[in-house]
Parts: sequence; structure tokens; C-alpha cells
Amino acid sequence: MSNSSLGAAAVALGTACALAGIVIVALGLAGRRPRWFADVVRLVTVMTAASVASVVIMERALITRDFTVAFVAENGSSRTPALFNVATLWSALEGSILLWTVILCGYVVAVVLKFRHRRDDPMVAWAFLTLFVVCSFFFLLMLGPAAPFGSFDPPVGYDGRGPNPLLQNHILMAFHPPVLYLGYVGFTVPFAFAISALVTGRVGEGWLLATRRWTVMAWGYLTLGIVLGAWWSYETLGWGGYWAWDPVENASFLPWLTGTAFLHSVMVQERRGMLRVWNLSLVIATFSLTILGTFITRSGVLQSVHAFVESGIGPAILGFFGLIVVVSLGLIAWRGDELRSPGRIDSPISREGAFLANNVLFAAFAFIVLLGTVFPLIVEAIDGRTISVGNPYFERMTMPVGFVLLFLMAIAPVLPWRKASTTVLSQRLIWPAWIGVGSMVFALVVGARGWAPMLAFGLGGFAGGAALRQVVLATRRQGWRGLVGRTNGGMIVHMGVVLIAIAFAASNAYVRQGEFTLQPGETVVFADHTLTYEGSDFVEYPNRSERTARVNIDGAKVYEPGIATYPFAGQTIGVPSVRSTPIDDIALSVLQFPEGIDDAVILRVTIQPLIIWLWIGGLVMAAGTVLAVVPGRRRQPTAPTSAPIVEEVMA
Amino acid sequence: MSRNLVGWAAVFMVGASALIFAAVDSGGPVTNADRAYSLAKDFACPVCQGQSVAESDVPVARNIRREIRVWVDEGRTDGYIRDQLVSFYDEDIDYTPSASGITSLVWILPVVGAAGAGAGLVVVFRRWRLEGEQEASAADIALVAAARAEAEDRG
Repeated sequence: MSNSSLGAAAVALGTACALAGIVIVALGLAGRRPRWFADVVRLVTVMTAASVASVVIMERALITRDFTVAFVAENGSSRTPALFNVATLWSALEGSILLWTVILCGYVVAVVLKFRHRRDDPMVAWAFLTLFVVCSFFFLLMLGPAAPFGSFDPPVGYDGRGPNPLLQNHILMAFHPPVLYLGYVGFTVPFAFAISALVTGRVGEGWLLATRRWTVMAWGYLTLGIVLGAWWSYETLGWGGYWAWDPVENASFLPWLTGTAFLHSVMVQERRGMLRVWNLSLVIATFSLTILGTFITRSGVLQSVHAFVESGIGPAILGFFGLIVVVSLGLIAWRGDELRSPGRIDSPISREGAFLANNVLFAAFAFIVLLGTVFPLIVEAIDGRTISVGNPYFERMTMPVGFVLLFLMAIAPVLPWRKASTTVLSQRLIWPAWIGVGSMVFALVVGARGWAPMLAFGLGGFAGGAALRQVVLATRRQGWRGLVGRTNGGMIVHMGVVLIAIAFAASNAYVRQGEFTLQPGETVVFADHTLTYEGSDFVEYPNRSERTARVNIDGAKVYEPGIATYPFAGQTIGVPSVRSTPIDDIALSVLQFPEGIDDAVILRVTIQPLIIWLWIGGLVMAAGTVLAVVPGRRRQPTAPTSAPIVEEVMA
Repeated sequence: MSRNLVGWAAVFMVGASALIFAAVDSGGPVTNADRAYSLAKDFACPVCQGQSVAESDVPVARNIRREIRVWVDEGRTDGYIRDQLVSFYDEDIDYTPSASGITSLVWILPVVGAAGAGAGLVVVFRRWRLEGEQEASAADIALVAAARAEAEDRG
């Protein structure tokens, strides 16, 4: 049997299992099928096997260059290097839906394993029903508008164009999409439990506790995926930047913002039983924003470097998004009475008060990003004008929010629950404040100027100091256990955020970029660095030919940025070369080897401080996430969750 | 307490001085090349997808970069350069939505939303404070006593 028909059969089998799952769980809930869980286990096993098989078949087709599969004919090529041949799966629409589905099946298997002892719980049943509905949607996409296994009749000697050259010239392309998808798809699990909490009316803390680690892990993958994407774009696109407020970047950032808000506000509900509607809404918003993000990426409605196809998949995804929103809002309205929270917050100057402020800020941040992203569409719909909303808008609007968030990050970790006295605060915050002021003075001494970056350094140091204080206290008290658990891991994540905030502020404020036309042997001095152009080389590879310039930086080492021509894809792309140190980065890219001038080069040089700390910060955040899901110190179930106010004052 | 107060006063003094110094002392004049680059980042490349004039390598973008540089060297204002570019290309070359007409909404809505949320929080906190402490009912007290007794039995 051909890969095409095998693959199509696997997709059909998976679809059947997902749809059957809906029916079986529904029968189980209706009490007509008492042993529904055993059936679910079987269905999930077959569905997952089918999904894995469909990926394996597609990979086999890509690796063996089986051009009878239309996807391979369109995106594969005999000249693509082996690693990128595997990664070609997610370089186009149909393959990326295959990847999405197999990850989704993986999560469903994990849910089966985790909740197998709670099979009699209707909450688990409704969660499975929701999961099967989501699975069905993605399988149905692959049966219809995004069918991966269309067949093709290749003429003799046919060879494909290969994936977009930009997607086959850097190792990070092998990691950024799968990690990002692990994040996107991971939010399906808390979403399923949120829906099931609404349906069953058990809107208390049960569903939160059941899905706490799932949410944290999904958030961690999403964080890492976004950072890897920024890194990839910095290393391959050659414009010296890493974040452009591109619609698709925004689409990944939106669920991150609402997800981050949720991770914080969840703690208020666990401790105080408050914010029930808000938390449900945040989980639902996060999941729907991943679907909206997929719509933006895949439908071609917004133009961007990421939007790889204009396809018929748009209406289907938009319809699914609408369904999620309508059903969720309907359920929330229906459960309105039970959702009214019993508690109240005693003082705005308290841990829960800070979390509330944090949520307002993250919601505002998300609103700004969403509005800026879709605003051109709105204006075009209303009065037919085409406008752009870009970098200046997003920076101006989000900067104040970012500053206040950094400030909250500094004070919230030391705030007690219930109520804080100013004495406690001033004692706990004085050292973090000195660290903040110290970073400002240090920045001044090394030459930093401008109020905005200076404020970022100061608040960053303050927030970093507060996180450090918590970690030091915790490790002193509990040894290595002071590093694990949600609170302690969270502080490590905060340190990663601080690193990124400082690196972001510094690289944005002190970027220097210049274009130079150089003859061989010519030297230019730019922003205290000496660059000597030594000459150029020409190399032929199976999939491309590359002309590279040899550029010596500071007389130390030669870097070779170039221009690569992919004849079969009919595309020419720049291949930047970056010199990184902990202090600054020099990114070189060749704009042109001008015709007619003997071996000259037009070189773009971008020099930015502290870039490397963006990636380190991302890794620290990921590490902190892992520490946060390791079980920390267990609380006695009967111990009061909020310490009495009197003790806090005396402490 | 008083030592603490002195500490905080020192923190604010040093912090504010650093901030003011950094704001006032620009650290040397901005070169024309730097100003041209920062302007180029604020305009969209007319034929690209999601890339600014500063980022793009296509000939149109490079021409615009050259034009911007000429205007900067002539000492033109940012506003002049913007108007020139918008009249040559189109409104959508400008990454900064105009603050008049319908596009002003993109600036106003977030501010209104944030102000509304802030006001909402103030109202909620005031109401919570006015409600005061809730009195524990006899049933509540009995429940707590039972739980305590049970905990003691176990301990």
C-alpha cells in the first residue's frame, strides 16, 4: 500500500475513534454504559496509535522522498539536509496539524493514566467528552480542508522545491515549533476540566487542583517555545532583532499573557476561594486564544512572515473558535449563581491584592496586544482604509504596563496574605531596593543613559532582589527543598523574567545599526568595534549555493555572513553570522555583493548589548517551571492557610 | 523604624538622582545614522509582510532608508519625514496609527479599559471594607470547635 493511502487510513481511523469517544462518554454520562471508561481506554489507545502512525508515515514519506504524497511533493526535496527533512513536517499547514494532533493525543493518554482511578467521577467524564470534541475537530480538519495525505502523480525525474529556505537553515527550527505546540496544546487539558467544572457545577477548587501541574507545564513549554522562536528569528532573519510584534508572534504571546495571569490568580482561589468566574474565564480565554492564534497563523487573514498558506482552513478554525466562546460564555452564565465567590479581600496591600493587580495588568497587556493586532482589520472593515499598527504602538502602550508589572514582581513575593503592615514591607524590601538602586548606579557607571532603560534596570534589580531574597530564605530553611515547589520555582521563573526584561530594555535602547560598503582589506570602526572585510568565498551545497564574506571582528576571529541561493525554491536569503558575548552581540548580515565592483560587499552591522541574556533568561524560566512542578513541602491539610495578621506584624 | 526610614530615604535619593541624571545627560549626541535607523524602524516596508523599513533587504526598503537618511542629513523633523513617506507610499507605511479619527480608538480604548478596571477595583475594595468583618454564626463556631477537637484527638 502506498504511503498516501496508509496515511489517509490512519487519519480516518483516528477520526472514527475520536467521534466514537464522544458517543461512548455521552452514553456513560447518561448512565447507559457503566463500563465507559474501559472503552475510552481502548479508543484512546487506537486513536493515539493512528495519530502516531500518521506522523510516522509522513516522516517516512519525507525521508524516502516519496513524491506520490502531495505534501512531500510540495514541501520535500531530495536536496534538503536530513535534519530539516524531518522538520519539514511542521514547515507547512497539513504537517503542522498532524503534529498538533499527535501532541494532543499524547496529552489525552496522559490524562487517561492520571485519572484512571477517578473513572466514576462525572467531572472526569465531562473532561474526556471535551477532549474528544477537540480531538475530533483536529482529525476532521485532516479529513477535509487540511488533508495531509493527498496523492500526487510525479512526472519522471520529479523533485520538489523543498521547504521555505528560511525554515531549513537553522537547527532551532527543529525545536521551536514542537515546543511551542506542546505549550499550545497543553492548555487543552485545563480547558477540558474548566468546561467540566462548569457543566457539573463543581466550580470550587477541585478542578484547579486537578489541573495545576498541567497548566504550569503547558505554560513552561509555551514560554520556551516563544523564546526559541525569538532566538531563531534573531539568528536567521538577519535584521538584528528578535521580536517584531508580528501578528503571529502576538498570537503566541496572547495565550502566554492570559496563561500567566491565570497561574497567579489561581493562587487566590486556592487560598481564599475567590475569583472563580475570573479563573474559569482565563483558562477558557487562554485555550481560545491558542485556537485564534492558529486561525491567524494559518488562514492568511493577516499577513506575516509566518503565515505560510492562504488556505480554506480559516472558516473551520474560526467556526470552532466561535463554538468555544459561545459554549463557554453560555455555561458561565448558566452557572452564574454558584460562581459567586464567598470571600473578600481584606486589604489591597496583601498578596491577594497584588495578584488582583497583576491580573488587571496582564489583562490590559493582552488587550493592547490583541487590539493592536486586529485593529487594521477593524479599520479596513469599517471605512476601507488600510493602516498599520506596529512597533511604536506596541512599545509605547506596553512599556508602562511592563514597568508596573516589574514593580509588582518586586513587592508581591514579600507580601503576606490577608494584610500587610508598612513596617513588615519596609523591612523585607529594603535589601531588594538597594539591589535595584545598585543596578541603576552600575548601569550609569558603565555608560547607560535614558530614563526608560534606567527605570527598567532599577525595577529589574528590585524584582530580582525580591526573588533572590525569597529563594535564600527558603533554602536556608529547607535546604534543597527550598528550590522546588510552586512558590520557590516561581521565584526562579521571576529571575528569568528579570533577565529578559533587562536584556530587552538594554538591547532596545542601545542598539546601533549601520550599513557599510567595503572593499577587500578595508576596515571600519563602528561602536567601538573594528571590522575588517577580508574577502569572499563561494561554496556549492546540494540544496543551495552560498557566497560568504569573511569579516574579522576586533582582530580576533573571522565571521562569515553570506547570501544563500536556493535555486529550486527560487529564493535567495541572507545567512547572518553573530558574535555573542555576555556583554554585547555583533550581528553581521550581507545585504548585497554589488555587481561590477570587484569583490565588494554591503554589510549590515547590528550591535546590541546583553542579547545573550534573553536566551539565558528563557532557559532560567524553563528551569524554574520544572522546579515548580516538583512537589514541594506539603502543607498539613488542617493547617490554616492564611497566617494570622498579628504574627505577620511581629515577624 | 527610624533606621529603616533613613535607609528608604537614601534609596529614594540615590534612585531618583540616577534616574534624573540618566534622563538629562544624553551620553553624547545622536548621530544622523542612528536617528535614521530609529526612524526606519517606525515604518513598514511597503512590499514586505510584517517587516519594517529598517529590517527588510528588498530594494524598495533600501531606497526608503536612503531617502530617510537624506532627510535626516538635511535636518528635517520626524513629522516632515512621516508626511513625505505617507504621501509617496500610503497611510499603511506608518506603523504609528494616527491619533485622530477612527484610528485614535486604538490609543484610547486600552487607556479607558485600564482606567475602568482600576476604578472597578477601587469600588470593590471600598465595598469590601464597608461590609466589615462578618460575624461567625453559632453554627460556624460549633463547626470549628468540632474540627479542633477532632484534630486534637488525632494528635
